[in-house]
Amino acid sequence: MPPTGPENHTGLYIHVPFCRARCRFCGFYFETNADGFMERLIEAELRELSRVPPNEATTAYIGGGSPTTLPLSLLARLIKAIYARQPQVRELTVECNPEQVTRDSLRTLRQLGVTRLSIGAQSFNDEELAWMGRTHRSSDITAAVEAAGQAGYANIALDLIFALPGSTEQTWQHTLDCARQLEPAHVSIYGLAIEPNTPLAAQIKSGKIKALDEAQDRAQYQQGISALEEAGIKQYEISNFARKGYESRHNLGYWKNQPYIGIGPSASSYWRNRRTSNVASLTQYVRAIETDQSAVVESVSTDAASQACETAVLNLRTRRGIHIKTFNKTTGYDIMRSFAEPIERYRALGLLTLEGDRLYLTREALPIADSVLCDFAAL
Amino acid sequence: MQTSLIRNFSIIAHIDHGKSTLADRMLEITGTVSQRDAQDQLLDTMELERERGITIKASAVTMRHEYEGQAYMLNLIDTPGHVDFHYEVSRALAACEGALLVVDATQGVEAQTVANAYLAVETGAEILGVINKIDLPASQPDVVGEEIEHVLGIRYKECFQISAKTGTGVKELLDAVCALLPAPQDNSQDTTQALIFDSHSDEYQGVICYVRVMSGSLKVKQRITLMGAQKDYLITELGKFSPAMTPLDELGTGEVGYLIANIRNLADVTVGDTITDQADPADAPLKGYEPPMQMVFSDFYPGNNTEYPKLRAAFEKLALNDASFSFVPQNSPALGFGFRCGFLGLLHMEIIQERLERENAIDVVQTAPSVSYEVALQDGTVQRIDSPSQLPDPSHIEELREPYVRLEIITGTDTIGGIMKLAEGRRCKLIKTDYLSSSRVMMEYKAPLAEIVYDFYDQLKGISHGYATMDYEFMGFEKSDLVKIDILVNGIPVDALSHIVHRDSAEPRGRRLIIKLRRAIPRHQFEIPLQVAIGGKIIARETIKAFRKDVTSKLYGGDITRKMKVLKKQKEGKKRMKSVGAVQIPQKAFMSILDTSE
Repeated sequence: MPPTGPENHTGLYIHVPFCRARCRFCGFYFETNADGFMERLIEAELRELSRVPPNEATTAYIGGGSPTTLPLSLLARLIKAIYARQPQVRELTVECNPEQVTRDSLRTLRQLGVTRLSIGAQSFNDEELAWMGRTHRSSDITAAVEAAGQAGYANIALDLIFALPGSTEQTWQHTLDCARQLEPAHVSIYGLAIEPNTPLAAQIKSGKIKALDEAQDRAQYQQGISALEEAGIKQYEISNFARKGYESRHNLGYWKNQPYIGIGPSASSYWRNRRTSNVASLTQYVRAIETDQSAVVESVSTDAASQACETAVLNLRTRRGIHIKTFNKTTGYDIMRSFAEPIERYRALGLLTLEGDRLYLTREALPIADSVLCDFAAL
Repeated sequence: MQTSLIRNFSIIAHIDHGKSTLADRMLEITGTVSQRDAQDQLLDTMELERERGITIKASAVTMRHEYEGQAYMLNLIDTPGHVDFHYEVSRALAACEGALLVVDATQGVEAQTVANAYLAVETGAEILGVINKIDLPASQPDVVGEEIEHVLGIRYKECFQISAKTGTGVKELLDAVCALLPAPQDNSQDTTQALIFDSHSDEYQGVICYVRVMSGSLKVKQRITLMGAQKDYLITELGKFSPAMTPLDELGTGEVGYLIANIRNLADVTVGDTITDQADPADAPLKGYEPPMQMVFSDFYPGNNTEYPKLRAAFEKLALNDASFSFVPQNSPALGFGFRCGFLGLLHMEIIQERLERENAIDVVQTAPSVSYEVALQDGTVQRIDSPSQLPDPSHIEELREPYVRLEIITGTDTIGGIMKLAEGRRCKLIKTDYLSSSRVMMEYKAPLAEIVYDFYDQLKGISHGYATMDYEFMGFEKSDLVKIDILVNGIPVDALSHIVHRDSAEPRGRRLIIKLRRAIPRHQFEIPLQVAIGGKIIARETIKAFRKDVTSKLYGGDITRKMKVLKKQKEGKKRMKSVGAVQIPQKAFMSILDTSE
């Protein structure tokens, strides 16, 4: 499946901004202790969903936050509403916290049409989980994956985090080994990012916590790639790995620079050449939607040149890279001409490969991808 | 006017020793200007000169002074008070029969005063010693008088003690000028010879020449020839400065004044050239003519590339008033477009730089100054080069020669040790040490100019707590063990960083450069070796380590706008850099490496 595909695809993203607790490193918008507000929010999201043109989306993704913090009945209403209006959705992912799912709840979701589970495993080391502020233990992950299997899911994805402060090659290998044993169809590995305005950032700044150094971070990233590829889970994007045919269609849509519609507070959309974001406040969002107003607070229209740049940057994140013909056709820009200088320079440096009709980052380039991609960020 | 009543003289003094104040006082006492009109330091026409308390270009003023019942015409010819203008000083002195050597009674004899006094002696001028600022409580006329006697051979008891500020002794000094200084020779019947001792360019009148008539006379509407330039002109105006320009029909033998002859280009007029009558020319020009010699070179780049045309216009304007300054366009792959500029010496360079910034508000970056070299080729010819890039293929070179100067340093005896250490470190050879008094000493060195132009003066000032003064005079080119060092960034030589240096300082100089580079170049996607090479041989190396990780883990729908912004910024950062092969060097960093101000 080429990342830059000619097929029409629109993704639908629904944001559930609730968590039971804030993780130490999280920079996302969400609310804790908002139980009383959940129903009102979902009502609002259903209303916003009803504004989306019918028969538009082909994938859907319910993320967060932790969607599984919602009562099952509310989650069910969301899923039903998606299918009612967007019957062409073929992939519907729900993000799960391992400790928040049971075989029964997962079976119910599957019956409602959920095709894919993305489980926030993060680590199989309990100390690390506790340190992060997660409310699950490594045994919860195993149980969740087993429950998902029993509930009939084949498409199970695990999210893992590396480069945690204090982590070592051994602790990370343990996590990778445990993950491999569960034979997931898909794995994402994320290097811990120190997001501004998080408890972690403050602790690193004050010297309480020491961040892993660059060389160790890189080594763990490469260790992750090797471990997963050995297990037949192939890298298809900088942070994403899948068994053949289990690549996330929804996420591939982002990297192909295809349109998507975001629902919920802080959700982003790329729709009709315009990038918009909803207000990142539960109350403001609900108030706007309930009064039939727009919840959009940021809106930028993208011209042909910036679309070409975005497409190049996003395509290059995938291992298959840029499909030159498709790129030139969809953007109206000749990639080899428009970016002749960086392409030539990075090919000479062994950071880009041109093979047939594809231009892609080499393995060497992956850990330093941003330094290459930035040269494609503007014309 | 009969020559016996003309006196032409200069004032020789160190900066701040009171030359301009004395000139002002003379103008007042002779009634040339009223006290009310006197703007301090009238002779300095340029703002910068007044501000720095120094005189950059010579000029002349005519005064009338009564002495023993006779009206004398006194022509005071101003001399540039600095080291770089030896030649111009020598021409100004050649226009005089006498000179007043002014020494500050609180400071003593300084290096430049000595150098200029020697010049005056060489041109045959009669010298009167003058001890100034005797009104100050800190003045020590006895000590200073002893120094003058010791160093310059002028008897202390024959020195005049004055205060230019209060006017004490100035009238007596004017009388002495009439009584003691020689009159010009009466060559009025000979063919016309006039010495050009200065010139400047006026927006409306073209070039104005300052001349001293040595023989014959100059008249308005006379056709003249500039013997050195071999160009003919018609005199349209003659006159004197009193101190305003006062037109006259004629300038006779022995007189000093200005000449306007519709000369458009300052470059056509060289200080030291001889003016003669076109119809009845002199057999030979006056002696002592030399073309200006540029010894110090430096590259100027606009801080912002878009200011290149502005910089060019500014240099053109500066060159209009300074024939000894030159500039040629220079294109460095690393630094972009700029100019290679030639100067008589260090101060000359500083003056140009300051004027550039003051008068044009252009942010300029200046490379470390370098000197001119002589290359003797195997075919027997000799080339002058002023940039490492001009160095011919080594196989054609017989020998390399560098300029040497006679360096005079006057300092307190307590700092001799530090200064000797500095001088030795700069390959200077001590010629002699001369104690001016129990606390002051003059040291004379033979020094490679290249070592002097490179922050020597700053170091000297530092070691001596600002007390030492120095002067130098060009001696000649001598064979030297010079090498060209190349700086290689990732294996590629960077032209702008090449230097010609003495073999002994190649390694330390080169290493200092690459350490600065290592700090200035951001880490890249790969390791970058920085090397210093002589020929093909690497003599020093530093390494810039590659960065190991730079990737955004999560990039999904919600992150795209923000991430594109961040990436664009990252790219913008690279844009302001210069590429040397695959290595991108921030231009600002480049500048900081080359800039001497650090």
